[in-house]
Amino acid sequence: MITLKTEFQKIKRRKIGLTMAALTGIQFVWFLWATKNPDEKELTQGWLNLLYSLPLLNVIMMPTIMSVLASRLSDLEHKGNTYKQLRTLRRPGILYDAKVLCGFLFVAAICAAQILFLLVLGYCYHYTDTLYPHYYLSAFLLNLGCCFSLYLLQLNLSLLFFNQMIPLVVGLCGSLLGLILMFIKMYSFLPWGGFLSCTLVSMDWNVETRVVTYFYREHSAIELCAIGMVFIWIAIFYMTGRVAFTRKEV
Amino acid sequence: MNISYYKAVKAERLKLKRSPVWLAFFALPMISAFFGTMNYKMNLGILKSEWFSLWSQHSLFLCYFFMPALIGTYCSYLWRLEHTHHNWNSFLTAPIPRFSLYLGKLTQAVQMAVLGNLWIFLLFYVCGRFAGIQSPFPAVAAEWFVCGVLGTVVICCVQLLLSLIIRSFAIPIGIALLGGILGLMITNRDHGLDYPYSIYCMGMRANNPDMTIDIPALVTNSLGYIFIFSFLTILYLHRKEIAAN
Repeated sequence: MITLKTEFQKIKRRKIGLTMAALTGIQFVWFLWATKNPDEKELTQGWLNLLYSLPLLNVIMMPTIMSVLASRLSDLEHKGNTYKQLRTLRRPGILYDAKVLCGFLFVAAICAAQILFLLVLGYCYHYTDTLYPHYYLSAFLLNLGCCFSLYLLQLNLSLLFFNQMIPLVVGLCGSLLGLILMFIKMYSFLPWGGFLSCTLVSMDWNVETRVVTYFYREHSAIELCAIGMVFIWIAIFYMTGRVAFTRKEV
Repeated sequence: MNISYYKAVKAERLKLKRSPVWLAFFALPMISAFFGTMNYKMNLGILKSEWFSLWSQHSLFLCYFFMPALIGTYCSYLWRLEHTHHNWNSFLTAPIPRFSLYLGKLTQAVQMAVLGNLWIFLLFYVCGRFAGIQSPFPAVAAEWFVCGVLGTVVICCVQLLLSLIIRSFAIPIGIALLGGILGLMITNRDHGLDYPYSIYCMGMRANNPDMTIDIPALVTNSLGYIFIFSFLTILYLHRKEIAAN
């Protein structure tokens, strides 16, 4: 608890919350732009549309946003060369846990803000389809899992490399890869494709009528495995990261 | 000025020696080219404009979302060398005008971005041949390249200013990504040439290779943005006590 408190003291006035708010804010702007002036048909499947769009936007933006968050939390240690001093005061494993927990709180806040925004948006537009709260709750939890797995990956890279360009480029490549995977399959076992597996809504686009119909997705066995993979990634990244950080030569 | 400029460029090159920063410009277009070509091959029934269809698959996401962020990463890296330790002191006390110091950084950024663009076009040509496109390579691609390079210089200038002001490595990259995404919205409202981050995509015809754009407006706006952001950066270098952390 003390180490977590220290983490928050270290990032005081570094405006990490503001940075995350700005990056998430752009997603909100995108949603406002994409859903403006809905017609009758769009109103009848508004809640579905929001649930469909959120993971697709996250697959593009979240790998980079998570790399920014992880880099901000790690870079102060690199710049200040504080590892040696910190590790004489606390065990390295606890330091790593504190960084993980600190980032998790930011990630949870981002995911909660996203879902809250969608709910407010939906109520403002008076969507006529039924809102199923358990789908939105599931979307929140799955989104949190995907974001957290990416955060752990990026944190490990940011702690490992002094040159922060490497983790940031990995984040960018992940964003591009996720975006491209979206055109191949709606599930993926890669960490950056987790958002696709966790999409709760599918759509059917009629080429002739050019009408889009959304519906709640029924995951096949392999798609459920892909969702499970997100949580396996979390365990893998956490364990490898903790071991690497503990053994890191400072 | 000439000698000091060459000295600044040489110093920047030395700072970047053995640094694998170019790898990013190598890897990202390869991912885009590989999957873009795969998508093109899988959708030959819909994508019938050969080179033009392939180009849209290669360039759309890369130019809108990722090249600005990639250029941002490189610019952040260039200033990070000064932001760490006490390097500002040696940087600002170098017997070279600050204008030349800035031009040294800008030259490095532009050089890398131009090489990145050349790589994108080389991949485009190779993938086109690999995908079995028999028609000759479109000559208009040279125009896309030149316009794209102008757009690249604009992004370099914006990102160099941001990375100079913001000491964090990551935040300017986040801003570049957001800039690219906002660029998509602004381009949809037909104001793409007025916004620094979307000039590049417009110049590269990333969303529509058949599109005709107002070239004089593109050149004027690009030069205007280059001048404004370079002026602001040099002004900041002169006025601010950057070295005092």
